[in-house]
Amino acid sequence: MKCEQIREKSADYLAGELDEKSLSEVRVHLAHCPACREELESLSAIWTKLGVLPKEQPSGSLRIRFYEMLEAYKKGTEKDRDKISLGQTLSYWFGRLMPRRPAYQIALSLILIAAGLGGGFLLSVRSRSAARTEVTGLRGEVDDMRRIVAVSLLKQASPSERLMGVSWSARIDRPGDEIIQTLLETLNRDPNVNVRLAAVDALYLFYDHPEVKAGLIHSLAGQTSPLVQLSLINLLVEIRERRAVEALERLIQDEKLNPKVKKRAELGLTQLS
Amino acid sequence: MEPTSDNRLMEEVRDGKVERLAILFERHHVMLFNFFLRLSGNRSTSEDLVQEVFFRILKYRDTYHGQSKFIVWMYQIARNVHVDHLRKQKQEVPLDAQFEEPAVAETPAIERLSAEVDAAVLKKALDRLPLRKREVLLLSRFQEMKYREIAELMGCDIGSIKSTIHRAIKELGKIYFELQGGTSP
Repeated sequence: MKCEQIREKSADYLAGELDEKSLSEVRVHLAHCPACREELESLSAIWTKLGVLPKEQPSGSLRIRFYEMLEAYKKGTEKDRDKISLGQTLSYWFGRLMPRRPAYQIALSLILIAAGLGGGFLLSVRSRSAARTEVTGLRGEVDDMRRIVAVSLLKQASPSERLMGVSWSARIDRPGDEIIQTLLETLNRDPNVNVRLAAVDALYLFYDHPEVKAGLIHSLAGQTSPLVQLSLINLLVEIRERRAVEALERLIQDEKLNPKVKKRAELGLTQLS
Repeated sequence: MEPTSDNRLMEEVRDGKVERLAILFERHHVMLFNFFLRLSGNRSTSEDLVQEVFFRILKYRDTYHGQSKFIVWMYQIARNVHVDHLRKQKQEVPLDAQFEEPAVAETPAIERLSAEVDAAVLKKALDRLPLRKREVLLLSRFQEMKYREIAELMGCDIGSIKSTIHRAIKELGKIYFELQGGTSP
């Protein structure tokens, strides 16, 4: 192998893309050629140094802006799609319904005008209900989007982003099981107290969901932070959850329990029974 | 379960399931942010550019054909976004300022040992590399793209990419040693 060829192979050498055969040829050449050896060594040094440059993290607002854009785009395309499909359907049907002879065409026009006048009144009543269906559809789409945002934010490493995730979950009208599960998991596992507290508040909005009540009662036993314990007890008392009595009694038995929490739990017991 | 491939996801986005773009965003936005950060040196500009890339992906989703890897297509868009940004910037920055050499602070000898300073010097050296060399280097070293993919993305042959890599590293080394106050080996 010549010096020229070594230069050609250096990019592959650096990226670790050389096969065994080429690699050993390069090694043989380097053993005899100090110039190439020196050059490749200094190239490798810079290549390696580049690898240790730290990966930077963007701010949380980038993610928020992206999801807002996606949500807005989705709303826009849904509207466009409705418009196009309506137009296409109408022209298709007109094409099929129009009679071939001009006399019939005129007759049909007259009938249509009469029908139009009568139908106009009826339609104004109906269009309101159509608009309502459309709005319901859009709301569903927006809800889907918020679900994706909330779940992905809740999985982030930074507590502030997870907090945002909780607040996005609270904006969902009809949370699916996934959101409920993720929020309960956040409440039980998140290392940050503020995030757990926010999760309690978000779950309060969905307390009529069957899994939420059971999840909240179950979570009470696992919480260590007095703030979260207090917040949970307040919530359970407020929603008058009778099944929480047993969990509260067990909590009071705990000797390490914070005195304030104990007092609140005792009061809660009297309020519930 | 195998995660859905980028190409498959992008095809779904193209066919109307635009919410699937969220997964592609989660997979690639940090890398893309770092790509722009190394090109522009500015965090908020880089975030704007990442946003612009995903906006264009949505806008031009119909043009995605899936023959090449998704990230090749994405970085093609990213390069266009960056070029547009440079053009816009040129209109805003007075002409003489564009040709001014960026000021380089003299690194005190005592600090030269610290790894942080080392990384800072390397970043500065990278900033001084001509745009094309910098792009090729960033794509191969930080975005973990194969030379073949970079060649496809830049519309040239693989040999030219490899020789650009060679020259870019050599030049980077030279600038790096100069900035450190030494001479190039």
